[in-house]
Amino acid sequence: MGSRDLVSSEVAAAGSGKRENEPNADNFDYDGCLRACAAGDKSALRALYLRESKQLLGVVTRIVRDRARAEDVLHDAFVRIWRRASTFDASRGGGRGWVYTVARNLALDFVRGAGKHSGSEHQAADDEIDSLADPDDTSRWLEKVGSSHWGGDSARLQECLEQLEPTPRACIFHAYVNGYSQSEIGDLIGAPVGTVKSWIKRSLVALRGCMG
Amino acid sequence: MMNQHDDMSTDEIAGHYVLGTLAEEERRQVVVRLSEDQELADAVRYWQERLVGLCDVAEPVEANDAVWERISSSIDQLTASSAPEDETSSSWFVSWWNNLAFWRGFSAAGFACALALGIALAIYQPSSPRYMVVLATPEGHSPGWVVQASNSRKLTLKALGSFEVPEGKALEFWTKADDWDGPVSLGLVEPGQPIQISLDDLPPLEENQLFEITLENYGGSPIGRPTGPIQFIGRAVTPI
Repeated sequence: MGSRDLVSSEVAAAGSGKRENEPNADNFDYDGCLRACAAGDKSALRALYLRESKQLLGVVTRIVRDRARAEDVLHDAFVRIWRRASTFDASRGGGRGWVYTVARNLALDFVRGAGKHSGSEHQAADDEIDSLADPDDTSRWLEKVGSSHWGGDSARLQECLEQLEPTPRACIFHAYVNGYSQSEIGDLIGAPVGTVKSWIKRSLVALRGCMG
Repeated sequence: MMNQHDDMSTDEIAGHYVLGTLAEEERRQVVVRLSEDQELADAVRYWQERLVGLCDVAEPVEANDAVWERISSSIDQLTASSAPEDETSSSWFVSWWNNLAFWRGFSAAGFACALALGIALAIYQPSSPRYMVVLATPEGHSPGWVVQASNSRKLTLKALGSFEVPEGKALEFWTKADDWDGPVSLGLVEPGQPIQISLDDLPPLEENQLFEITLENYGGSPIGRPTGPIQFIGRAVTPI
């Protein structure tokens, strides 16, 4: 399993802060891009790939823990984006979020389908509890939240996550970033699944209230 | 299960969906509901936009050049052979029978589909089937298996092509009638081997009954319902 490696490299990189060579993605018109994909413009998909494939592959690799599998998922994600672009209502915005949902859902399909996560209570327990599971250390990943998109929702997300209690915040992190199920999170941080559920529920309510 | 979401607000369901913390069955339900429940769709959109900044936490990984080549070639094949996909088309409870995109995909696949039906009819002509199911890939491009029932108690499943089952994996066959709570396993299947299945423990086959084949871990799903991705799916129809 490469999970610890991935986690470690992430922790190491976390200290370096903002990525300087990344273009400002705020200028990229995700909604227009998806509209063009829906119209059959393959160059729009290529543009999206050039813009997001590295970050998408990072997200997917983190969840599926296997580089080759992650590339398969990335392939499937772009094919699905292409095929379903017409179902995305570009007039309402949120194209980037939609793209990541498509990719994350495919990655989750893979890990849950492969049984790598679900039903293997010992899987998470076997992994050493990395420093990211330590609620006191969440600031190390928090500063990366929204780092590719300055301003707007992402900056707000960082502030609102900071306002959560450390352990519930760690639950959100493990769910979204690591793709862990609630029971896996419970195993990882040593809490009953019911407690994890209620932490996540309260976090969602708090985030909704904070972000508006 | 009637509705596992009874104790969750729409916003909470959407938040869990975007976080990825719904159980598989619940997630499937959300995908189905998304196409018709505007409130849920809006809530999902909200959480997608608000949480996407968390994606920046993962360290970027440079993709191998071959990945784009594969994507490009898959897109070219799609463009040559199919109409766009319906949002909910990979989902369980979608009414495939009423799904225009699905049948459009079939007609676009034209020759292959006609050929498959032709083969199926030729194979099963003598037994005068009461029901037939063509199981196609979720994208609806290519038929993969034919299910034939000469009576409502016994099925024959036959592959129309050859499939490579990944090591450590198995194909599991499922069915679900419209009013059943969940799918029931009909056992593991192997490509290349026609399989006879008795439905003794199940209600008689009915029109529109759903069949699908999912990719499961070796030995099949440990929990009695599909956990892996759908490979082939179709509904029972009465041949004319």
